Amino acid sequence: MFSFTKEQEVFDISGIKIGGQPGLYPTVLVGGIFFKGKPDFDKAEKDLKKMLEISKKTGNPAIPDFFIRNEEDIEHIVNFILEKVPKDHPFSIDIIEPSIKITTLGYLHKKNLLSRTIFNSIHIGITDEEREALKKHTPEMVIIVAFNPKDKSPDGKIEVLENGAHLIDIGLLELARKLGIKKILVDTAALAPGENSGASIAAIPVIKEEYGLPTGCAIHNVVEKSKWLHDIESARETVDAASNINIPLFGGDYAIFGPIENSNLVFPIIAWQDILISEYTENYFGISPIDSHPRRKLQ
Amino acid sequence: MVQKIKTCVIGSYPVKIDTNEIMKKYFGKSEFLWNKYIAQAVHDMITAGIDIVSDGQTRDPFIQIFTRKLKGCRIRNRTEVVEKIEYDGPITLEDQKYVRSLIPKEKELKGVLTGPYTLANSCIDLFYKDEKQLAFDFAYALKKEAQVLQDHVDMISIDEPFFSNSMPDYGKELIGIITRGISCTTILHACGDVSKIIPQLSEMPVDILSHEFKASPHLLEAFKEHTFSQKICLGSVRSDDIRVEPVREIADHIKKAVDIFGDKIVQVSPDCGQRLLPRDIASQKLINLVKAGETING
Repeated sequence: MFSFTKEQEVFDISGIKIGGQPGLYPTVLVGGIFFKGKPDFDKAEKDLKKMLEISKKTGNPAIPDFFIRNEEDIEHIVNFILEKVPKDHPFSIDIIEPSIKITTLGYLHKKNLLSRTIFNSIHIGITDEEREALKKHTPEMVIIVAFNPKDKSPDGKIEVLENGAHLIDIGLLELARKLGIKKILVDTAALAPGENSGASIAAIPVIKEEYGLPTGCAIHNVVEKSKWLHDIESARETVDAASNINIPLFGGDYAIFGPIENSNLVFPIIAWQDILISEYTENYFGISPIDSHPRRKLQ
Repeated sequence: MVQKIKTCVIGSYPVKIDTNEIMKKYFGKSEFLWNKYIAQAVHDMITAGIDIVSDGQTRDPFIQIFTRKLKGCRIRNRTEVVEKIEYDGPITLEDQKYVRSLIPKEKELKGVLTGPYTLANSCIDLFYKDEKQLAFDFAYALKKEAQVLQDHVDMISIDEPFFSNSMPDYGKELIGIITRGISCTTILHACGDVSKIIPQLSEMPVDILSHEFKASPHLLEAFKEHTFSQKICLGSVRSDDIRVEPVREIADHIKKAVDIFGDKIVQVSPDCGQRLLPRDIASQKLINLVKAGETING
């Protein structure tokens, strides 16, 4: 369990705080919606409600992460956010295609939602048009994916944050700041087994100590890529949810934990882990958890 | 019979890396292979008709290609040396094997090592606090890479641009560490104005000296003043200028050098790596270099 010598940034988005020394704030949990197929809004509404309920119970803040894969879904998904996500609650948009990112930013601006938006994500694939769109419609918070195809170790992740690993013209941190983004979350870019999968976890304390920025990742993706687990179907969901404990254990601040449907399993696991960490960090480092921390809420 | 002058590249070649595609593969959880960029560089060299090709050094700038895989280095904004420099296994071997699989049998392959003095001067030394010792440890590590490469390439070039800034009194020793016992042809490439260090270059234990004779044409006269046993790789098109030299201009330049040095001129090349040129310009320069070479060879 860690306490960092580097001063730790804490960023607030619509009242949810992310970052800081381990044990201070509860781990923020980011659950994916509309990952596969055509968006099912009725199901999404129910899943969202369940996630917010369990979040309220454990104290771990919940952030819905909306996958947008098609241009024609943008308006519907943004309208869903507007109508179904509680007012003033943050959310993230998880988009791969640059053109869809650009159109979505425009929509979010139009609907006055940018102050609640976590943009997922900036990475080495950013286009010039995307840079312009981010300058024009700047979201409140951004996730930077520190994926470096040249070096998958923690050093490689630092390199891409520092100088873009000579794959783009600028380091990703400087790029985000130049775009006017002040609140940056670092995603340590989880990789498949056999590709230095442990590095995304090892990189969490390295990056927090280097930059003091809130850091996390989608470690459950490694479980998804563990082919041997496909033969032990009964254990997959549990392993997927349990993989997330690595993030707070290594000092991380948030977990992109996979499908929102897993909320009822993931939140208690992480709350349990947060309590464990908090007991030690308060005793050893004197870090007292905030009132909404699972250690304060759950007896 | 007069030996044919061969056309070659120095090392690096510009290709556009599609970072968006890399990230789509990452998010799609599928494997991304760098080989397509090596293939693009080699394709341009072969299409131009170049006799001696390289892997294009597409993976990284020429410092990081080596420091990324040598023990003791850590890449931050620049490379930092944080421990003793040691060889940690082949660095460019797989790429050379891949290039060999791509090129016709009559083409030759050049392996390129960034020189120990240049590496030592390009890194931030947080460990040795002694440039000479750092350079020597780089040399010992590069020696192992040369030993690994020699059976897979036709020649090994050591790229030492820092020699033109300041030639250390141990420069010959450094190069000797790498070339001693190496069975294939060895080349020392030093770009920049090397006119002041020709005596030291003439003592270098390599088979071929490679310099930027096009950007620094006075080097022809300067070398004329000295005796040296090595052959010459003649820089014949500029690597720092987007103007594409006409074939006639290149041919005249080569002819002038042949008139002075005769059969010492065994290779003609760009002045330096072409990494910083636009790809179409780099390609056209190689095409014109080959045509000029054909004019000279007859």
